[in-house]
Amino acid sequence: MFLPLLRFPVVPSVLALVVWFVPQAAPAADPGIDFFEQKIRPLLVTRCEGCHSSVTGKTSGGLALDTRQGWANGGDNGPAIVPGKPEESPLLQAISYTDPDLQMPPPGKGERLTADEVAAVAAWIKAGAVDPRVAGERLGGMSADEARRWWSWQSLKPVAVPEVREATWPQTDLDRFILAALEREGLPHAGPADRRTLIRRVTFNLTGLPPTSAEIRDFLADDQPGAFDRVIDRLLASEAYGERWGRHWLDVARYADTAGDGADYPVREAFRYRDWVVRAFQKDLPFDEFLKLQIAGDLLAPARPAEEYADCITATGFLAVGKRYGYAPNPDYQHLDFADVIDSVGRSLLGLSLGCARCHDHKYDPVSMRDYYGLYGILQSTRWAFPGGEEHKRPTHFPPLVPAAEVDRLEMERAATVARLETELATLQASRGKLDGNWIAGGPDLALESQPDGKPPAAPWLSAGPNAVGPESQSPFAHIHPPGQRGVRVGSGQPTDGIRYVFPQKLKKTPGGKFHLTVDFRTVAGADQPGAYRFYLGRGVIESLALEVSVTRQELALKNGTDWEVIRPIEPGVWHTLQATLDPDQRTWSGVVGPAGDLTEFRDKKLNPAWDGILDTFICDGIGHVAGPAPARDIDNLGLQAVPFPPPGSDPVPAFVPPADAPARLARWAEQIKQLTAERDAVQAREIYPTAYGVSEGTATNAKLQKRGEPAQPGEEIPRQYLTILGGDLLPEGTPGSGRLQLAEWLTRSQQPLAARVFVNRVWGWHFGQGLVTTASDFGSRGELPSHPELLEWLTGQFLQSGGSLKALQRLILRSAVYQQGSDDLPEGLARDPGNRWLWRHPRQPLDAESIRDAMLFVSGRLERGPAGPHPFPPTHTWAFTIHQPFHAVYDSNHRSLYLMQQRNRRHPFLALFDSADPNQSVAQRLPTVTPTQTLYLMNSPFVHEQAAAFAARSALPGLSDSERARQMIEAAHGREADSAELELAGQFIAQYASRLPAETTAADRETAAWQAFARVLLTGNAFLSVD
Amino acid sequence: MRRPNDSLPVPPPTTNRAPMSLPPVTRREFLQRASGGFGALALAGLLADEARANQDPLAPREPHFTPRADRVIFLYSTGGTSHVDTFDYKPQLIADHGKKITASRWLNKPGQFERYLIKPRYKFAQHGQSGIWVSELFPHLTGVIDDVCLLNAMHCDSDGHDKATLAAHTGSAQFARPSAGAWVSYGLGTPNRNLPAFMVLAPAAPYAGAQTWGSDFLPACHQGTHVIPGPEPLPNLKPRGPAPDLQGLELQLLGQFNRKHLERRSADLALDARVRSFETAFGMQREAPEAFDLSQETEATHALYGLERGATSGFGWQCLVARRLVERGVRFLELIDVGSSNNWDSHGNMADHERLSKAIDKPIAGLLTDLKQRGLLDRTLVVWTTEFGRTSFHQTADHPGREHHNLVFTSWLAGGGVRGGFVHGQSDEHGILPASGAVHTHDLHATILHLLGLDHERLTYRHAGRDYRLTDVAGRVVTEILA
Repeated sequence: MFLPLLRFPVVPSVLALVVWFVPQAAPAADPGIDFFEQKIRPLLVTRCEGCHSSVTGKTSGGLALDTRQGWANGGDNGPAIVPGKPEESPLLQAISYTDPDLQMPPPGKGERLTADEVAAVAAWIKAGAVDPRVAGERLGGMSADEARRWWSWQSLKPVAVPEVREATWPQTDLDRFILAALEREGLPHAGPADRRTLIRRVTFNLTGLPPTSAEIRDFLADDQPGAFDRVIDRLLASEAYGERWGRHWLDVARYADTAGDGADYPVREAFRYRDWVVRAFQKDLPFDEFLKLQIAGDLLAPARPAEEYADCITATGFLAVGKRYGYAPNPDYQHLDFADVIDSVGRSLLGLSLGCARCHDHKYDPVSMRDYYGLYGILQSTRWAFPGGEEHKRPTHFPPLVPAAEVDRLEMERAATVARLETELATLQASRGKLDGNWIAGGPDLALESQPDGKPPAAPWLSAGPNAVGPESQSPFAHIHPPGQRGVRVGSGQPTDGIRYVFPQKLKKTPGGKFHLTVDFRTVAGADQPGAYRFYLGRGVIESLALEVSVTRQELALKNGTDWEVIRPIEPGVWHTLQATLDPDQRTWSGVVGPAGDLTEFRDKKLNPAWDGILDTFICDGIGHVAGPAPARDIDNLGLQAVPFPPPGSDPVPAFVPPADAPARLARWAEQIKQLTAERDAVQAREIYPTAYGVSEGTATNAKLQKRGEPAQPGEEIPRQYLTILGGDLLPEGTPGSGRLQLAEWLTRSQQPLAARVFVNRVWGWHFGQGLVTTASDFGSRGELPSHPELLEWLTGQFLQSGGSLKALQRLILRSAVYQQGSDDLPEGLARDPGNRWLWRHPRQPLDAESIRDAMLFVSGRLERGPAGPHPFPPTHTWAFTIHQPFHAVYDSNHRSLYLMQQRNRRHPFLALFDSADPNQSVAQRLPTVTPTQTLYLMNSPFVHEQAAAFAARSALPGLSDSERARQMIEAAHGREADSAELELAGQFIAQYASRLPAETTAADRETAAWQAFARVLLTGNAFLSVD
Repeated sequence: MRRPNDSLPVPPPTTNRAPMSLPPVTRREFLQRASGGFGALALAGLLADEARANQDPLAPREPHFTPRADRVIFLYSTGGTSHVDTFDYKPQLIADHGKKITASRWLNKPGQFERYLIKPRYKFAQHGQSGIWVSELFPHLTGVIDDVCLLNAMHCDSDGHDKATLAAHTGSAQFARPSAGAWVSYGLGTPNRNLPAFMVLAPAAPYAGAQTWGSDFLPACHQGTHVIPGPEPLPNLKPRGPAPDLQGLELQLLGQFNRKHLERRSADLALDARVRSFETAFGMQREAPEAFDLSQETEATHALYGLERGATSGFGWQCLVARRLVERGVRFLELIDVGSSNNWDSHGNMADHERLSKAIDKPIAGLLTDLKQRGLLDRTLVVWTTEFGRTSFHQTADHPGREHHNLVFTSWLAGGGVRGGFVHGQSDEHGILPASGAVHTHDLHATILHLLGLDHERLTYRHAGRDYRLTDVAGRVVTEILA
């Protein structure tokens, strides 16, 4: 039978629209299709698709065999079938078991195909691999049609406020949406909450703190219309409001004060982002501004008033503050950092789980790998503050909170100060050198002079091998040092033998500054070793090499960049002098070398390209430009300083006779040098402008797609772009920069209200315990549908109309009858809607971790108000954290809990115990638990006992009866009015507790202890720990 | 005389089943659909029961199928224990000592590396009926080797400490995921609410810190409770204040207030749960110190674990406390020997392994012996692992240390349904790559869950729009080692 050869469509990739094919019934009209249906489809279904199916999502090796496109695109090994060419089709190889590394089904996972079956597949491929499983357009994990119709990605539609039967109940239009649904479901609603309940509810809800007794009484006494509005206004204007609602956002933003790498480096500047979030809520920053600043504040800053500059930069902390994976500021683990950022941006702002598309197209939502790597490119074009890590233990790339011009000005000011101090230092050092030969040339070369004869040089020199100080090694040159008695002879011939000198003062590169080196040397007469010895100058032994000179018995070479260059011949037995000037700005060095009267000049040789600009170490060892054992050599008159030496041939320095007052002057100068050095170091180390844990612009570049999420398997380059389903915008031609500015615009454009929808739903959830969409960070196909879709639409419309004012949205919600309902049990509601999805009552909520702690501190009178500022982290210069010795700290504070240091890898013990947000990822909703370990904390922790003691102490007012004292304490802790039975119970408890204390307890102590116990009961009761 | 199992609480009968993905209909939906014949109140009662059961996520649940083990003791050696110096006997490595090979990875970088083979520092001998080769580092463990099943071709995805530690615990070397113990707690709950379901006895945090035993997206009650060996192993366990014995009085008043508060809120299960949690916590105050109190243990038992009387730390203490805790129904116990420093990470000198093996050898042997003689080993799965092995080769022929090696290493299991005296998997002649029977971390996790009666593909949790598993999308039960 001859089957027609088909040509296969090539998938267009320009549109970032992934098209593939889903099985559909197709009429079997031609013999090719007949053959496929009878012989091939059953085989594929029964023997292959268990592991290779786009429908189940199980695509081993990246290969799907349930669609034509699946095998045409192929998996990790490329297309699985080459139509017409069985011998080139990996699928046939695999089922034939010809290649031991490619056998399908894998041994142990099913029997091999029979010879007949293999032959059928071969015939099918040979005939063109006709496969009628024709296409439906797909977008990631959805059909394109479904994706286009999905509710959350639609533009905003006008919504009519529904009609309701019980027309008297609604106080606002919002109520009509809720009531209409309740009426439709045939559910009752609760009556209005009483005023005590209401003020406690709204105060905790808006500020995370309980109302004071005075606030309760004011509200109870206010019988004018609008009393509750006045409470709302007061609370919305309070500082505590920003703290409470800022903390909600910090959950979403996965905020922590440490980096989350293995060593969990502290991030000193993270708190600025935290405080910015608090201020943003306080100020009711318009929503689009709030989002834009967090994505691209640095790019918006230059056009804003100067006083907003710092805030704009700080806001980008939203991107930076995620979990980090790297050890050093390099791209090794950047793909993991970016996975966090993309996933967090997706969940927090768009309600989309984008992270799935890192390794494969999203299985359920219309997000492709192209979408993922389109965003990835934007992040890759961004420069990220690096918090410090195991391999690079210092923070770097933290964006300054002052504009670039100001940074330059401040840096120049600093450089000028440093230069002035350096000059003063140089002058002092020069004066000292003139008075004390030991200090000539920046170091006590002449320490050789005080070394014992015939021994290797001792400290401050280091010596390896048979080196010896002695008069035969004294250099005849006298243009720098007065002639002395000793030099040093070096040389066993071993490469690693030699001498090392570490200068007591590191020389550091300064703008315009130069360094000067001098040394005298000779190859010992008669030496016959063929190799070379070397002079090394740099920082440390191998840390950072600046220059090298290499000498044999015949010639001298020096390093020009990374290449040896022979400069001149050498005569053994003849003393040579080398004088070199290093120019760190030009990264060159020049100088002269040779015997007296026969100097060779060399100019503008390149310094080692990797040199870091610091000098403190001279080495002479046996490694050089010629291999083999190095000859013995004499070394003398080593010097290194920041001011020039007299050139060779200058007048000899006369033998030195110190004046009588030399010791006093030297002591004074030594003190001044010490002070100036300390001052200079301090100026250099000082933070002259604040920085943020944020981002700035990097080098604009597109990312390459990473196959299976592996950076080591790059695929095609993906242009930077927005998500296809939300517009798929590409950066306009010739856009400079990373594309974050465009991303900020795309996210907030009014035609696409997804971000606003997601945010409004979160706000609803922060008022009612759960959102209208219960999966607040998933508005995709795996998320829950909204319970009240019209209400969400209407609220989003109201929110956007108000210019994105959160406080306006909250007034809308708080003034509603639904918010002000009681939280009572209604049997019918409990029976029919136990989850309170339709809001037949106000949901009672447990206090979250922060509220428990803050409310205890508040009631005890010990809460410290205002931002707590930075954390007392150890100073940066001491940081040496590794995965073996990670950073860990718990800092005590009586500030509100959001100001506690939030460590990522080892969470704050209290916050972790009471289910605060785990900062390892964006948290949509707290999931409170009730565990006995929490209860043990309530019963026995020092914290609770301290707060109870303070609470009891402040309640002890002169002249107060026990009963009135108990009443006031109950009101302060629970916001409620105690009844007489409770007060009686309290009185009995106090008396009984006091009487049962040990006999030796004084009366005063008895009373104190009893009231403290009573305070503990109040602070750990359900009336304290939950809000109606 | 008390039977060994007397103190094991019996799980109450329950209709709860281990969670699995996509139940066809939830029970509530079922009841709602079938509610035609039910009175509204009866239905409400059933729903409340259901909700109550759901409210307590630690209530015991039935496994997916008949389990071989009821609990796990997971022993973890931090730092990377060399397989070729402990459990993986490589005569050819000894014969080829000093010879050059070309390694395909070095310090986590692929390439071609000329390296020298280095023989084990320690002598091996055969032990037990099974004749399993073990080195002289574990002289006591050899006495119970016939109960142990070695996995000599383990491998994992990372050779970085923190990433490999996370992989060994959570299955993911990269992202925050729940720890295996949290999954087991979620899957099976616990028969004894006076103690946490998942406890970690560790003197110091391993690499990756508390994330190692975190619950991540699972409810926080499933996270490991970290017990730091010492005089006060669990914080806040002791009543505080001038008269600790008056705490009962406080709880009495609290109960009265709470009951009054609950009057109008009786349907609120979280409030009810908190009320009950005070009873539980009060019980824990009594029971937990007793569980940690080793004074009732005999001299012989102390000696068995190599423990001095009165000691409150050391691996012997951890092992003996672990036995007492599994007796009291704790579902998953993890014992970590050392923290992220001064551990098995013997880059400099393999002699370090002596100190570390000495600290755990006798306690582990004691634990296995003790569990066995008390009849507990049959139903207790003991697992020992480490984040990875160490290279059998180095840059110089005489290098005294070894580097990280995740391509092949050894873990072992004992007890609860595992074939004792058995070696599964072989590394190649030089202990560099798996030769046969390779077992990935995911496979080990799948096997642990299997022995507990849980299907690793069905133990799922819906989070962020998809179902997550301990074994991600991989994992194969190592059926070869099932007894």
